Amino acid sequence: MKKIIIIFILCIPLHLFAADDFYPFETPVEQNRFAALTSQLRCLVCQNQNLAESNAALAVDLRQQIYQHIQQGQSDKQIIDYLVERYGNFILYRPPFVAATWGLWLGPLVFLLVGIVCLLFYIRKTATSTRSNNFEDKV
Amino acid sequence: MNLLKKIYFTLPLIIFAMIILILWRGLKLNPAQVPSPLINKPLPHFALPTLFDEKKIVTNEDLMGHVTLVNVWATWCEACAEEHNALLELAQNEHVFFLGLDYKDDVDAAKKWLAQRGNPYQMIAVDYAGTVAIDWGVYGTPETFVLDKKGMIRYKQIGPIDTDSWEKKLKPLIAQLRNEPI
Amino acid sequence: MIPELGHFAIILALCFAILQAGTPLFARFIRNKLAMTTAISQFIFLSMAMLCLIASFMTNDITVMYVREHSHALLPFLYRIGAAWGGHEGSLLLWCLILAAWTVAFILFGDKKLSERSRSHIMMILGLLNCGFILFLLLTSNPFQRDFPSAPIEGNDLTPILQDPGLIFHPPMLYLGYVGFAIGFAFAMAALIEGNCSKEWAHACRPWIVLPWSFLSLGIVLGSWWAYRELGWGGWWFWDPVENASLLPWLSATALLHSLVVSEKRQSFKGWTLLLAILTFTLSLLGTFLVRSGVLVSVHAFANDPTRGIFLLCYLALIIGGAFLLYGTRIKHFYQPPEFTLFSRETFLLFNSILLLTAVFTITLGTLYPIILDALNAGKISVGEPYFNTVFMPIVLPLLLLMGLAPHIPWGKMTAKKTEKKLGVIFLLSGLIAAIAPYSLGFEWHGLAFLGILLSVWIILSTLQYAYSLQKKINLRSLSMITAHIGIAIIALGVTVNKSYSSERQLKISPGESVSLANYSFTFRNIDETHGANYDAITATFDVQKNNDMPLPLEAEQRIYKSNHEVLSKPGILVNPFRDLYLALGNGFSDGAWSVRIYYKPMVRWIWAGGFLLFLGGLLSLFSYWRGRNEFT
Repeated sequence: MKKIIIIFILCIPLHLFAADDFYPFETPVEQNRFAALTSQLRCLVCQNQNLAESNAALAVDLRQQIYQHIQQGQSDKQIIDYLVERYGNFILYRPPFVAATWGLWLGPLVFLLVGIVCLLFYIRKTATSTRSNNFEDKV
Repeated sequence: MNLLKKIYFTLPLIIFAMIILILWRGLKLNPAQVPSPLINKPLPHFALPTLFDEKKIVTNEDLMGHVTLVNVWATWCEACAEEHNALLELAQNEHVFFLGLDYKDDVDAAKKWLAQRGNPYQMIAVDYAGTVAIDWGVYGTPETFVLDKKGMIRYKQIGPIDTDSWEKKLKPLIAQLRNEPI
Repeated sequence: MIPELGHFAIILALCFAILQAGTPLFARFIRNKLAMTTAISQFIFLSMAMLCLIASFMTNDITVMYVREHSHALLPFLYRIGAAWGGHEGSLLLWCLILAAWTVAFILFGDKKLSERSRSHIMMILGLLNCGFILFLLLTSNPFQRDFPSAPIEGNDLTPILQDPGLIFHPPMLYLGYVGFAIGFAFAMAALIEGNCSKEWAHACRPWIVLPWSFLSLGIVLGSWWAYRELGWGGWWFWDPVENASLLPWLSATALLHSLVVSEKRQSFKGWTLLLAILTFTLSLLGTFLVRSGVLVSVHAFANDPTRGIFLLCYLALIIGGAFLLYGTRIKHFYQPPEFTLFSRETFLLFNSILLLTAVFTITLGTLYPIILDALNAGKISVGEPYFNTVFMPIVLPLLLLMGLAPHIPWGKMTAKKTEKKLGVIFLLSGLIAAIAPYSLGFEWHGLAFLGILLSVWIILSTLQYAYSLQKKINLRSLSMITAHIGIAIIALGVTVNKSYSSERQLKISPGESVSLANYSFTFRNIDETHGANYDAITATFDVQKNNDMPLPLEAEQRIYKSNHEVLSKPGILVNPFRDLYLALGNGFSDGAWSVRIYYKPMVRWIWAGGFLLFLGGLLSLFSYWRGRNEFT
């Protein structure tokens, strides 16, 4: 017969789902919000996992909190603010867009634009440097 | 060679040097430590039963007027056992006021644990569900908050208190806070 | 005895590495023989050391501390081989061994037309590199460190996640990639030292970029596939810092590959190629640093030790700082004004480099930003999947678009109008397919899915059209490009469909009950106790059925390892070319129900199939090089 074994999960990246049935939602929208929120938040104990995947006691507790807050009708922003107030920005896998992170969010775009500008400058030199006569030969 | 070209050619070296500097600094940091956003803010409001008398309620009021060290601990936490002797010594010799927060723990086990090892805490609040700890931004045990006479959090020690952290950080801070007016 | 032998072998290898680093100092007529001797000796001694390490694992010699940390009497023999490089010290030994192997490959198979002077410079650089790594190994990370306990003790056992065939292949493949780029780096150094970068140089360099790139592609694919099977929630990429560290040299090497083509065919982009060659190896070393120094939190990180971090950083600063310094001072000899117009293949390839380097910059920025802010005392943040997914996409989409265009654009100057019309038709056709296909298969509209499918089909059709237009002129080299580009398209297709149309359910279910997901019904048949070589497990068996087809069994287990009672949830997967059905088992409840997650994952295998095509494409290019090496003039 089957034995029922209580399994204690340690902070190793293995998968155990706290029974999500503890979190029944009335609408799929709320279900998706829960999934989205918990996957965007970092577990502070098992720091390589998000809140959706982690089995640490704190993660279980925080999932419960988020569940209750969604049931109480709070918005995503309110829930995120609640958590950031207590744990700081570290808990967010999506960094906020603030002065300290302008470099992070805008950096890639700036890099790309600078690269394109440099490229265009470089190619423009064809107009100024002596044009090669055997152009068509090369094609 | 014009200036622009000079810049372009030395740019890789400059960027690389910056990255090395950042990584050098990074070696001295601890990436896993989460600083508390509650520093210089009041300890969030709480009301919890005490360990030895569940009808008595501890609140923020009990912490006003003196410097408090709030120590989050549990019987299932190995590092807390290691820290325990240091706490006993501090309570005795330095007259530190300790509030213990028994985090997600079994009340009977906690009483037994303290009976065996000694009790450094003037008061012990029981946070069975862990919700108050979440309000305080606790994410591991042991953690210790240093509160001033007005009940504001001035410092958070992550991990056990040892001689090093006591001498360098906590002792001077407590002395400073004790001199502050109420 | 064996550990001491291994240790001594490493010391001997160091001696030969030092000798090799001094190759240019010797008289010309000795140099070749010397290089061959030192390279082969290093390889032999490091192989010996690795064999000694594996032997220590096989005999479960717990007096060797490394073995004690990673082995156990019950650990199956196959995993003991993988365990040899499962930790920091052993994997570093693997690194040194592979560097020696690449050096031998170069000395034996390198293009003989390459000037003797260049070859000795390359050997010198490789010797210096291996000196540094073997010193690092001996001074801070000796795998043969011994400790004789007074009472018999048992080893800690290998982490359950690592007890998988993936451990045998994934690290060696990755290292073959990372370390292989050292040769390209050495080539670049040689060119800078000598002040010239000829066609012969570019031609000789090609296999030493293509082969590591192929191995790295395969290594990354293996890692992704392994994580998917082991980690239990069907993920295949997590933007973990160490995963990023493997992607960075791959991106840079891809840019390098393309730039090298131009250097070889058009004698252009020379300075750029040199920069990319240095950059690629820099990123390999950076990755090594990140994994072992402890500056970042990662699921892959080896146990950190500040001494190691400092050593590695100094090594990195010295080698790469020196390289960039050399580049900065010597590059003016290589600068060429462009000889092509705006609409030419050269421009497209330069743009390819820029996009790929933007990707490199972005991923590096995201990975290091938490350290930057922390170092500036500006707070602690986390940068994870949401960030990378958001910023990576706008870089990849134009890249995919250009991939379909570039093969059709001629070198130097674009003239043909017919090409434009043909490409326009293909693009519209791709759009049509992308719009209709999901509907016809019963999926909903999804904007990003449309975009992804459009670009994937666009690349496939456009590349096939290019192949057709070549007719008889098609050769191995163009075949390799076609294979690799189609590989990318298939990866893009797999990623798009998987991300857009996956679904999952998390439930509490008792034996006998049934649930449905994506037109499949999952019936919980029974739950059993089973046993493995070194673990006990609880296995849940499900029957999966679609419509009235025959039901297929699907098992998932919760393993408890006997050595240290660590728990691993091993998912069960039903595979078919177009979708995976994934089952993971969780906790049991007192009423006999179990917590279970089921996933429907369409086209996930295509991601790895595409990656494998990249590997094949690389091999084809190598084969074409090998065939043509004697004919090259």
